[in-house]
Amino acid sequence: MSIDDNPSNNILALRNLTVDFGGVRAVNNLSLSLKSGEMVALIGPNGAGKTTVFNLITNAIKPTSGEILLNGKSILGVSPDKICQMGISRTFQNIRLFPQMTAYENVELGLHSIPRYSLAEAFYRTPRARQIEKNTRAKALELLEIVNLKEHAHARASSLPYGLQRRLEIARAMATSPQLLLLDEPAAGMNEDECNDLIELIRHIHNTMKYTIIVIEHHMAVVMDLCRGSRIYVLALGSLLATGNPEQIQNNQEVIKAYLGERKNVRETTAP
Amino acid sequence: MELFFQQLISGISIGAIYALLAVGYALVYSVYNFTNWAFDAFMAFGAFMAFMAISSLMMPFWLAMIFSIVLTVVLSVGSEKLAYRPLRQRKAPRLFMMISAMGVNLAIVNLINKFFGGTFRKFPIQSAQPFFVGGVSIGRMDLLAGLISFIVLAMLWAFLYRTKWGLGIRASAIDIQTASLMGINNDGVAMIIFIITGVLSSIAGVFYGIKYAVFPTMGIVTIKAMIASIVGGLGSLPAAIVGSMILGILETLVSGYISSSYRDLFSFMFLIIILLFFPNGLMGKSGDEKL
Amino acid sequence: MSYFIAITILSGINIIAAIGVAILTGYTGLFSIGHAGFMALGGYLSAILVKEYNVPFVVALLAGGTFAGLCSFIIGYPAFRSKLRGDYFAIATLGFSEAIRLILNNTKTLGTIKIGGAFGYMNIPNHSNVFVVLVAVILALFFAHMFVTSQYGKNCIAIGQDEVAAEMMGVNLLRTKLLALFVSAFYAGVAGGLLGFYFAYLSPSFFTLTKSSDLLAAVVFGGIQSIIGPVITAFVLVAVPELLRALAEWRLILYGFLFVVVMIFRPQGLLGYVEMNLNFARNLWSKIRNKPVGEVKG
Repeated sequence: MSIDDNPSNNILALRNLTVDFGGVRAVNNLSLSLKSGEMVALIGPNGAGKTTVFNLITNAIKPTSGEILLNGKSILGVSPDKICQMGISRTFQNIRLFPQMTAYENVELGLHSIPRYSLAEAFYRTPRARQIEKNTRAKALELLEIVNLKEHAHARASSLPYGLQRRLEIARAMATSPQLLLLDEPAAGMNEDECNDLIELIRHIHNTMKYTIIVIEHHMAVVMDLCRGSRIYVLALGSLLATGNPEQIQNNQEVIKAYLGERKNVRETTAP
Repeated sequence: MELFFQQLISGISIGAIYALLAVGYALVYSVYNFTNWAFDAFMAFGAFMAFMAISSLMMPFWLAMIFSIVLTVVLSVGSEKLAYRPLRQRKAPRLFMMISAMGVNLAIVNLINKFFGGTFRKFPIQSAQPFFVGGVSIGRMDLLAGLISFIVLAMLWAFLYRTKWGLGIRASAIDIQTASLMGINNDGVAMIIFIITGVLSSIAGVFYGIKYAVFPTMGIVTIKAMIASIVGGLGSLPAAIVGSMILGILETLVSGYISSSYRDLFSFMFLIIILLFFPNGLMGKSGDEKL
Repeated sequence: MSYFIAITILSGINIIAAIGVAILTGYTGLFSIGHAGFMALGGYLSAILVKEYNVPFVVALLAGGTFAGLCSFIIGYPAFRSKLRGDYFAIATLGFSEAIRLILNNTKTLGTIKIGGAFGYMNIPNHSNVFVVLVAVILALFFAHMFVTSQYGKNCIAIGQDEVAAEMMGVNLLRTKLLALFVSAFYAGVAGGLLGFYFAYLSPSFFTLTKSSDLLAAVVFGGIQSIIGPVITAFVLVAVPELLRALAEWRLILYGFLFVVVMIFRPQGLLGYVEMNLNFARNLWSKIRNKPVGEVKG
């Protein structure tokens, strides 16, 4: 649980990050750091503060104290859209697609959130603007191809089944050309087959795009698989409970207690 | 100096009226998180019902008040059931509920306009002799307005903080889903809140009508009350009252010392400026969306 | 004949203003009931420029629109920068519009120019004929279509559907909302100018909450995220009451009632999400012809 000794390699560093909501301390003195290209997981029981960490990183909420450093520079107080442009992109726990836009329009938004041509060109649609739009459209379809959604390109996002929506969100997040990708429960609601596909997808984009990825997940199988050879951070009640590779975490008594602490009591009270 | 106190008293009485409106607005807002645009219409409706009761039905003042309150409550609860509840149950986006409320407002205000006409009417009661205290005249109606507002707000406070139903409402204001999981009847809460809204807006309408005039678009002052409660800090009833009193006094002073035709203009501009620089009110907290 | 010309002109003016509201409310999701104020700003400025300073008519119209657009920043910038909630923004637009109306009502002269206060600004040159208005409507439609299908327009739409997600994907909320507001105020301002040049007279009483509600109605009934929907509705809302005089008194009552009904039964409006493009035209044509047709990509 110590900060990496060589900060210049760190793409992301959280130092003593704390946030209070009224009387509740949602995140408590959290410190962690990631090197470029790593893929790590953030796990913990419900209410542990995992999504809050993502919200802090993207400045959806302000920390009460602490530091967030992207490539060594503080990003506290930077507006979320600027943070996205600096290279951090995310998906959402509760899926936030643009419901009435088609799948490809959703992805395209990530490509043109800063428009690629001037306003005047927009009103007169110059040949240059038209070409830019064509290129953007092609790139969007490419991204859909990567997540295997090309045949749904023209379907309304809200009409897609849940599992496909999750993949679409990933494609959209990729469209912003991030360095750091934050995936919030990408496997939620998926069955075993879908999980396996997802694991493959995430591994594929990690290898080809060289993103740094943080995954929040409850599906232990997904976590253990993705983080083979990498780290898992365990959060409980806002504090960092443990860090380690999958084996270490699986055998960590504290972690087991945090997740399964209740079971022992139940057995005791229902014992004949 | 006497002029100042005169204006002050007058300002307090109009502030009291605004307070009734602001509290009604804050109540709906804190529980349902939306702006009840139809408030406008309820106020005008209340005033017109009382007006009609006195001038056409020859009722004495107190009976007319009750008549007006009852009818406005029916209107308020009715519009909740027909125009808001279906959307609320569907968890419709706020924009839709606002448009629906605007619709109720449009329909009712223009119905009043159609049936009563747009002329400014003087409320048909005898203007009794005002009281004189140390050279400052205090209108009887101003006094009554202040008194009744005070009593009504005190009763409301007692209801919210001393009864079970009040507790239910306060719980719903914090988190409506949890409240319903705890066994609080959402529809019952809705009905009570809109009953209260009806009472507050009709009383405010009657006293505003007495103080100024009765006309179909008189409800536009609810905008001022809304902003006053926002300025005070939404979700806080005491703040709504404080905001309204300040507004009432300030605008009356402007009206008295500068010009009455600039009164509304001053209020709007003052409120907009505050709203823009204190978007969560002077005392309020923002409602962050859950990500 | 002149009766139908009057309807064409008035509905044309209404269409242009309604397109403005459609861009702000229908696409970007920002509820405004203050567009009458922008119409007033544009209208009065254009009229003054032409009547007092002999500025060419078209230039004056554009100046009026630009003026309204710039004034929109007065409430837009603080409101969007502090992320003012939707309904407070609506209240602010209403307050702003009312403030403008009250100022105009109480201002008899601007320096040496007599704008007449509540009596109105008179003897404005009558430049709005059918031809002018039709050209204006066509241009308005063209540029609106260009805007909403551009990357700028799509960013506005994203804000309208989920502004939190839009911001997280890199859309600058402040700049994009200000852009939508400017464009919509510009349209309203031009419409206001055309109105003044048609009646040869402007009065603050033209620009009340009723006017703003009329414009909102066009968007609510016509459809969210659509240009064609509000356009058709804006036309109908002007043409029909004129043709059915008897209904005129009940007009607003009916609107109010319909707002509620539409929100409950068909919140996306008549032609919500339907856009004027090749697909729409093709589908319509095929429905008329009763033949199936393939989909055009993009």
